[in-house]
Amino acid sequence: MILNFFPCLIRYSIFTPLPLFFKHQNLLPLSCSINFIKPISSSSSISAKTIQVPLFLKPPIYSTTILELKKFQNWAKSLSLSIGLKFLNLDNGPESNLLCRELNWLLEDVVEGEEDNPTGFLTLGCSENERLVRMRVEMEELYDLWKQRIEERRPFQYIVGCEHWRDLVLSVQEGVLIPRPETELIVDMVEELILKDKEMKQQGVWVDLGTGSGALAIGIGRLLGNEGRVIATDLSPIAASVAAFNVQRYNLQDVVEIRMGSWFEPLDEFKGKIVGLVSNPPYIPSGDIAGLQAEVVRHEPKLALDGGADGLDDLLNICKGAASFLKPGGFFIFETNGAKQSKYLVNFLNIQMEGSFQYVNSVSDFAGIHRFVTGFRK
Amino acid sequence: MQSRGGLLVFLWRRNGIIQKCFHHHHHYPLSSTTPKSSCFSSCNNLFNLRSYSTSGAAEMNPQLSNDLIKIMENRLSAIEHRNIYLQNFMNQPEASPSEYSRANKELRKIRSSMELITQLRAKQKEIDGLKSLIAECPEDKDMHDMAVEELDEAIEEENRIHNLLLKSLLPKDDADERDCILEVRAGTGGEEASLFAMEIFRMYERYSHKQGWKFEVVDVMESDLKGFKEASGAISGSGSFGRLKFESGTHRVQRVPLTEKAGRVHTSAVTVAILPQADEVDVQLRNEDLKIDTYRSGGSGGQHANTTNSAVRMTHIPTGLTVAIQDERSQHMNKAKALKVICAKLYELERSRLHTSRSKLRSEQIGSGDRSGRIRTYNFPQGRVTDHRVGITHHSIDDVMQGENLDVFIDALLLKQEMDAIASFGVDE
Repeated sequence: MILNFFPCLIRYSIFTPLPLFFKHQNLLPLSCSINFIKPISSSSSISAKTIQVPLFLKPPIYSTTILELKKFQNWAKSLSLSIGLKFLNLDNGPESNLLCRELNWLLEDVVEGEEDNPTGFLTLGCSENERLVRMRVEMEELYDLWKQRIEERRPFQYIVGCEHWRDLVLSVQEGVLIPRPETELIVDMVEELILKDKEMKQQGVWVDLGTGSGALAIGIGRLLGNEGRVIATDLSPIAASVAAFNVQRYNLQDVVEIRMGSWFEPLDEFKGKIVGLVSNPPYIPSGDIAGLQAEVVRHEPKLALDGGADGLDDLLNICKGAASFLKPGGFFIFETNGAKQSKYLVNFLNIQMEGSFQYVNSVSDFAGIHRFVTGFRK
Repeated sequence: MQSRGGLLVFLWRRNGIIQKCFHHHHHYPLSSTTPKSSCFSSCNNLFNLRSYSTSGAAEMNPQLSNDLIKIMENRLSAIEHRNIYLQNFMNQPEASPSEYSRANKELRKIRSSMELITQLRAKQKEIDGLKSLIAECPEDKDMHDMAVEELDEAIEEENRIHNLLLKSLLPKDDADERDCILEVRAGTGGEEASLFAMEIFRMYERYSHKQGWKFEVVDVMESDLKGFKEASGAISGSGSFGRLKFESGTHRVQRVPLTEKAGRVHTSAVTVAILPQADEVDVQLRNEDLKIDTYRSGGSGGQHANTTNSAVRMTHIPTGLTVAIQDERSQHMNKAKALKVICAKLYELERSRLHTSRSKLRSEQIGSGDRSGRIRTYNFPQGRVTDHRVGITHHSIDDVMQGENLDVFIDALLLKQEMDAIASFGVDE
């Protein structure tokens, strides 16, 4: 129950896990079941302290009346409505409808309700007002969380401690990039590929560079199944801890291995052996960082966003590494900042690195932006 | 036996009379505690062809009218001839593989009817034998009585087989066993219609739970007062489409709206559509026919944006059908739901195309083609719900809204469907 001794607001204290930590299996002495309810036991290793348990996994040890919850809902809703289009016009932030939807999701995560309709009781008549409902946080904290959402523009996903991504619910916290909807497509494309070509599934290791919360590694790990092998790397100890936590939650510790280090650095023994390489590296040009949406620039890790002067530092690094680490016929897909970077990279891979790759292409996301670059090692 | 048979023919022949029959019965108290009260349970035993499949000595089968048997006999001998023709064809060595497989397919299709026909013919032979036995030995009383008894049994058995055959020959809706998509849309009446749309949506949700089906909200577009401008849900459970399909149409509400200051009763309407669920294979959906886009306002996306808005819009290019889903917490899940709805809509398009071309004649004759008409009225001041197609009124509106007594209407509608099918049996050949 260590976590409960830490006020939820103090989250920036980053404990550096022992490097040894990642070399062992069973990194986190956590329950492996997906629905684990109990937070980390007091015998956890030091690094476990850096992990925040998402709200929906906390035990419902508090309680409040329906009336109190309705009061909160009204208060939070009018706070959200007061925003109108302000954030949207300011920096493309959320408008009130979206905030109201987030509010419903927050309630779904903190209240122990019926599975089908978790917040259904909020539409009950006054006669039910005194009924008690079980909660995963105290009322006071709930008010505090919503204030942070509106006043500090703290991302909703950090508030609830998780991000719904594909069919996964991934734990996220400050220090770890929140996986974006666009990135889901990488897993779709890998799925399509391994359906067509069984060898991509069975012959060799897949790698996710800069895994963050572990989203891509877990998504691909689930596609590959028990025979698959995915190595996910990240330079950030906190990201590595969170990714390991998520891997355990999906019971993939035998499929996905987390290694700490920069890009290909921890992968020496896999030179020429990697069958698939995916990455969503930092790609935003340094000059653009300051102007980003408040949720991003104030709260998300720069390490995962800033790609240097033209945003290409890490992408180019990875392209070069891909030539030596992918086995012949191996596949790669990277996320990019959009048309300009994609075009540049396609060119770079075809011309500067002539002879290394084939079928190099850029692929659009659902907004029509050239988001991805894909190809195969010759 | 005879009189019951006569009554049946009469009812089968005239839909108007059936409705009168229901009118008549609704004067009996349709108490809320016994949803299938007197008239329906007896009607069900008499008419409901579904119950025939569980045949047993104790079960009574309606005596079919001579006219109906005559029509059916024509169909049966046509099937027998076809069967012989196909069998002969299959034995010819010069048949091409495609002809061969087509004939084989058709044979499989009529196989269950053929099995029943074989049984029927054997029974008819037995009846003939017994009849001549009775005619030949009037003096041997024991023998005579025994033969008469056996003849009665054989005739009852013949009747049972006739009923089974009739059921197997009636047009079937292959979609009946499928899961379905429910769509509710507020019609005329503004905010009040939206509130009622929400109540209707919840009514089906409760009904589904009571049936043991799974109800999943697909998408909701709320109105200002927390009503639903539009809502859709996915219902999974055996036969849910078959039971709910007649709920499609306009549902009218009469009451004093919350928003009405002067206390006047308003009339508003919501439309309900029930679509059978289908998958990509059913509708032969090709990836390249689908366009998916996010309809978010500009911006660079990707790492630039932190948003919980993962709405997607899916467009089926050949038909221009569009579905937008936003309420799930991930793009992947929004996409999966959109695909489900697109498939159901495409499937329904294809069905209604087939339906119109196949049974244009029939729908003109018996007026079953209109799915969009006003089908039911919910009158709150009078506490009643009336279904205009079967002329049934239920006097406990609260129970209906709680999803309790919808079966009163659903059972009657299913019964009517079967009667209509029997009435048009032989007409559309």
